[in-house]
Amino acid sequence: MDSETAHSKSVLPDRRNGILRGALLQRRSEVRKSWKHLISADCLEHLGPIAPEVEAFLSGPDAARGWPLLDHFTWLCSDADFWGCLQAFALARKIECRPGYTAPAPLSLGSLKRLASADGFKLLCVRYCCPVNIAAPSELEIAEELLRQLMVTDRAKIEAGGAFDVAGVLLRLNLVGIRALVARDLRSLDALNYFYELPHRSLVRMRANSRLLAFWLCIYTQLLSKPDWLKCGQL
Amino acid sequence: MRTAVVASSIAAGVRVAAGIENLPGVDVFIVVCNVGMRPALLRWARELFLALRSFEWRTLTTKVWSYARSGKLIILRRPLNDSASTERLRSLRCDVGLHAANVIYREPTISAFKLGILNAHIGILPKYRGRSVVEWSVLQGDPIGVTVFFIDSGIDTGRRIVLREFIPSDRWNDARALKNMLFGCDARLYRKALEGLMRPGVQFENNDISKGRRYYVVSKIFTQIVDEILSVGANRGHANRSQNGAFGNLSTKVEIDFGQRKSMLREQTRGNDGTYLHGNSDIPCLHR
Repeated sequence: MDSETAHSKSVLPDRRNGILRGALLQRRSEVRKSWKHLISADCLEHLGPIAPEVEAFLSGPDAARGWPLLDHFTWLCSDADFWGCLQAFALARKIECRPGYTAPAPLSLGSLKRLASADGFKLLCVRYCCPVNIAAPSELEIAEELLRQLMVTDRAKIEAGGAFDVAGVLLRLNLVGIRALVARDLRSLDALNYFYELPHRSLVRMRANSRLLAFWLCIYTQLLSKPDWLKCGQL
Repeated sequence: MRTAVVASSIAAGVRVAAGIENLPGVDVFIVVCNVGMRPALLRWARELFLALRSFEWRTLTTKVWSYARSGKLIILRRPLNDSASTERLRSLRCDVGLHAANVIYREPTISAFKLGILNAHIGILPKYRGRSVVEWSVLQGDPIGVTVFFIDSGIDTGRRIVLREFIPSDRWNDARALKNMLFGCDARLYRKALEGLMRPGVQFENNDISKGRRYYVVSKIFTQIVDEILSVGANRGHANRSQNGAFGNLSTKVEIDFGQRKSMLREQTRGNDGTYLHGNSDIPCLHR
């Protein structure tokens, strides 16, 4: 190996990672200053007792739970319900999970695609009652489909200015964000970047579901604070 | 070999056709489809604009006239995937289609060509499928290049890779310019691919999609990051890594007899024996 090759292999990933990290931290600081444009006072009011915590989380110093790369977990179970787990995850609280010995029966992509949006929403909430499971190896196909729906179908609808299923889009953003956090998938992180960069008029329509909107932003800020994205071994 | 350039405009069709028309044994048609089903006035205004923008409108006019006079310029009025358009394509009895239009092909359109439709994808398959693959390659420190493969109705999932060329990105300071340069390689690479296809016993590499991911359009922040990586040269290590053959080793061997206008597909699996070279920027990954 000549010196130039050695240099490329050791230094350049660090340099790329440095550029990426710098840009993401800059975005984090931007979110810290401007999240109130997105989550209005009305939205905060709708959040009820968790509003102060959400406010502190988005405005305060970075807090992220260090999820290990969970390559070999099968399924995790929790006593909390979907909303309790999602809230804990979004606010980087400790989640009481215990390993499940078997994953539930595989969910076929066909059936997920065929379901009406409300039924699909319910199905995803039940299946990912402990939302970390979206990053389980057995859920790769579903996670890929959710990412595809966001970046193809939902994106096209939103950019065309048409009506879109706010709750469905936000649920997908939350699940894809959790997958990015746990499986360290850059494409999933960038889906959240993309939606955050949508025109303000599109984003304010998401206020219709203030809870999922707040959780999405909280998960996004955790992703922005995560170091070493490029050292996590992309495919 | 009868070949049709499936283009979104006359100018685009002529540009690609010009790159292959003097290839011995190749008979070229240009099929222009109405992408987005624009009204006639808008469509022809666009054609005129694109022709004038090419700065070679005299050559373009001569070529268009020459193709039209010999019945080799086909203007489709219906959408490309419409049954009437498919029938028109079938009537050309072409062996290969060359993708130069911004459309998604349905199965009947693809099968209107004996061997299929080639696409010059500006990313390295099987690893990088989908959109913005140049940006994703730069971001992840992988080599840049173009893969010519036979499409199917999925997104960059067609199994037969004809050739792959790694292209240095060192001289490019932003993603847009780099992509434009790669898009501009299509005519040259289609020519190489057709030359390869006309050789006896041509072998294809298998586009093993399990070895890659589908990528999507990148955000503004990632585009800025990619531009910065390019401008400071933090992507320059890729040329070394590209020679390590980090991609799939399965291949599909295909024998084609163009004299009889039939193709025989024989599949075989190859092991990791280094049969295919992936690293040389000038050598296509055809049979060795």
